[in-house]
Amino acid sequence: MMDAGRHPNIELMTYTEIENITGYVGNFHVTVRRKARFVDESECTACGDCVPVCPVIRPNEFEMGLSTRRAIYIPFPQAVPAAYLINIDECLGDVPIACGKCLEACDKKCIDFDMKDRIERFEVGAIIVATGLDVFDPTGLDEYGYTRYPNVITSLEFERLISAGGPTEGHFIRPSDRKQPKRIGFIQCVGSRTEISPDGPNPDGSRGHPYCSNICCMNTVKDSLLLKDHYPDTEITVFYMDIRAFGKGFEDLYRSSKEKGVRYVRGLPGKIREDPTTHNLLVTVENTTAGRLETHELDMVVLSVGFVPPEDGHIKKLLTLSNTSDGFLLEAHPKLRPVDAPAKGVFFAGCVESPKDIKDSVTQASAAAARAQRLLNKDRVSVEAITAWVDHDLCTACGICVKVCPYGAITADPKQKIKAVVTEASCAGCGACAAECPQDAIVMRNFTDLQIMAQVEAALAENPEEKTLVFACNWCSYAGADLAGVSRLQYPANTRVVRTMCSGRVDEDFVWRAFELGAAMVLVSGCHFGDCHYMTANHHTQKRVDKMWDRMERWGIRPERLQLEWISAAEGQKFARVMREIEEMRRQVTREEIEETKAIIAKRWRKRRK
Amino acid sequence: MPDEELRIGVFVCECGRNIAGTVDVETVRRYAESLPGVVTSQVNRYTCSDPGQAQIRKAIAEHKLNRVVIAACSPSLHQPTFRACLRQAGLNQYLLEMANIREQVAWVHMREPDAATYKAQETVKMAVARARYLRPEQEMEVPVTKAALVIGGGIAGIQAALDLADAGHKVYLVEKEPSIGGKMAMLDKTFPTMDCSI
Amino acid sequence: MATAGAGKQARFKCLRCGYEYTDVYAPDRERTCPKCRSNSVRRLRK
Ligand code: SF4
Ligand SMILES: [Zn+2]
Repeated sequence: MMDAGRHPNIELMTYTEIENITGYVGNFHVTVRRKARFVDESECTACGDCVPVCPVIRPNEFEMGLSTRRAIYIPFPQAVPAAYLINIDECLGDVPIACGKCLEACDKKCIDFDMKDRIERFEVGAIIVATGLDVFDPTGLDEYGYTRYPNVITSLEFERLISAGGPTEGHFIRPSDRKQPKRIGFIQCVGSRTEISPDGPNPDGSRGHPYCSNICCMNTVKDSLLLKDHYPDTEITVFYMDIRAFGKGFEDLYRSSKEKGVRYVRGLPGKIREDPTTHNLLVTVENTTAGRLETHELDMVVLSVGFVPPEDGHIKKLLTLSNTSDGFLLEAHPKLRPVDAPAKGVFFAGCVESPKDIKDSVTQASAAAARAQRLLNKDRVSVEAITAWVDHDLCTACGICVKVCPYGAITADPKQKIKAVVTEASCAGCGACAAECPQDAIVMRNFTDLQIMAQVEAALAENPEEKTLVFACNWCSYAGADLAGVSRLQYPANTRVVRTMCSGRVDEDFVWRAFELGAAMVLVSGCHFGDCHYMTANHHTQKRVDKMWDRMERWGIRPERLQLEWISAAEGQKFARVMREIEEMRRQVTREEIEETKAIIAKRWRKRRK
Repeated sequence: MPDEELRIGVFVCECGRNIAGTVDVETVRRYAESLPGVVTSQVNRYTCSDPGQAQIRKAIAEHKLNRVVIAACSPSLHQPTFRACLRQAGLNQYLLEMANIREQVAWVHMREPDAATYKAQETVKMAVARARYLRPEQEMEVPVTKAALVIGGGIAGIQAALDLADAGHKVYLVEKEPSIGGKMAMLDKTFPTMDCSI
Repeated sequence: MATAGAGKQARFKCLRCGYEYTDVYAPDRERTCPKCRSNSVRRLRK
């Protein structure tokens, strides 16, 4: 930590929020908000003279509320930077009549109530996302009585209670009577390995998540050893489903914990009751090894809580990142590119990708740094040639493309009749403009109208009435279809897939041409809203499909023949299910209906084309 | 309009038994040969392997190919591999088209080998149709700013920032809390070494 | 793009299972059929 604080190449920006990130690989423009600390970070010597005079007392977040701090505070003694700050919402104010006591107490005069948030901008070539994770809140598991019973605590609270630097200076006491507990129980898998199902007992995940949080078993083993070291006569019971001690040196620690007398009981307690006078806890559990129901009287219970993905939707959106179904970030490839984001120039480190212990976090961080260096060591990088250009012979300067481009990469002026121009370095190649251009004046390199039409025509040249034509976006739904394959999920073989970079590329003309050729069903599929790799380009997909449904109804074609789905790269299951459901619908489409559709399209669409 | 002198080569991959176990690759190969513009159609055991790529480069030279269609796995897996292969053979890498007959054919229609073979043929037909309109494209090169942003100052962010900084790169380490350290700083001792976290 | 009717109640019809329902029209939120979870949900216009 200290090394990071004083490294000449590292500019440490704490108490800082990411406001905006634009640009692309090698050339990201970053805007940050450096929040006012009201204490000059470079001047403060962390002497602490300001603290005793501050009259505002608040729970200390770092100590999990187990102790207090003032409105002027340092997050924890070893904080980097070693500087105080004022929580201005808690502070009474600097005018002498309100308070302002700290101003007087600070000899160096580093406190400045006029400090404002500062906006700073800088450029980078690569980005590493290491936003970590959050701890599961066990309040939703009512049967364990967390927050109702003072002596039920979480594993993170345990860490602070046993820490020599913690609120009790390492004297391990229980909250109800501040006495040293003799009989301690640990309950494993709290918030982990729990089914979520809409009609089960856990519809919203408030009782936990399906995945294993990876580190809680070993954390409990470690905690049991710490207790046995400090207080050898403590009786420790661990309630568990499985102990997962799979890492290097882990099994040794587990064995040594058992050798020191820690009891491991296979079975998760159904309920904890409290003796209201002693505040002791009665834990009922089915011991599945012994095959009997047991009740343990304990002085304290530690809930070994799991992890949840961090709340950082803002950063995910800015970098167009998506998650796997567990809520952690989706990597470019689970085996071959585990630290790369699908977006170029962005890498992951640590628990934001999945829960992991310190060793694995450090390993992944070094991997991410190495991947980033591969890029930073180059002078130039090439950008895939999939960008848009405008054919000025066709462009009428209507300006529609300017409005749909999520990147502001197109300029045109309808009033001055200035035709559209694409800034290639800003164009990411989604193709929303090409799909919307009424003149077909925009050419997407490597995904031209001609190329895509040729695929549509080839797909439907034979037996079109038996087929479903699928448009799938490169990043999400096409990857979801790939995952269906990797998972060997089976679905009907009459699907024909056309890949585009984004669902926003799917021009109405492609769909009408498919129906003109006799396709029974057409599916347009893309990324979920918020997951789109081209920001909001898929919102245009939705609008366009809405428009097409209305048009189909007006023309006398059943709108049901055109389907729409948002399928993420992690939803192989969904892709296969959707393909099966659409096949059911396809069977209902008669040859007469298809012939009729062909005639309608030939009349309506062909006419519009002229 | 497609080029007058289209010379398309089709390469159908067996991927060991991954594709050939379900799809009759010889039928697909023969079918591809009959498509307009295709001058050679060949089967590879593992197209992505060195011998597989060598076979493509050889065919490009021998048959003066100006379009290459590879019927194999998903482009998300090996498109970069085959683009490099085209470059080595002196062909613009955008003259490549892949037909995904593994993830989206062989692996999802394992119980219907005939239907899978038919779909593989049509997938190759679609790829060849698209290949007719492919054009050589030039990639734009952009400079790289020699600095990195690390978001999050927990253990992972700190380690990544230090590695990059030690390698001589400027790093902006952004943390929303007033101190770096993250969750790790809250831990007393850490496994497996049982030492201090800070 | 201007999107008329945003924030107002609208009728929706699932084009997969046929279910019809009323909901607020929010153009920047994805639509999912409450019955069959399909995204093929059409906003009906009068
Ligand atoms: S939408 Fe098409 S016609 Fe209109 S300005 Fe853009 S390119 Fe030109
Ligand atoms: Zn429905």
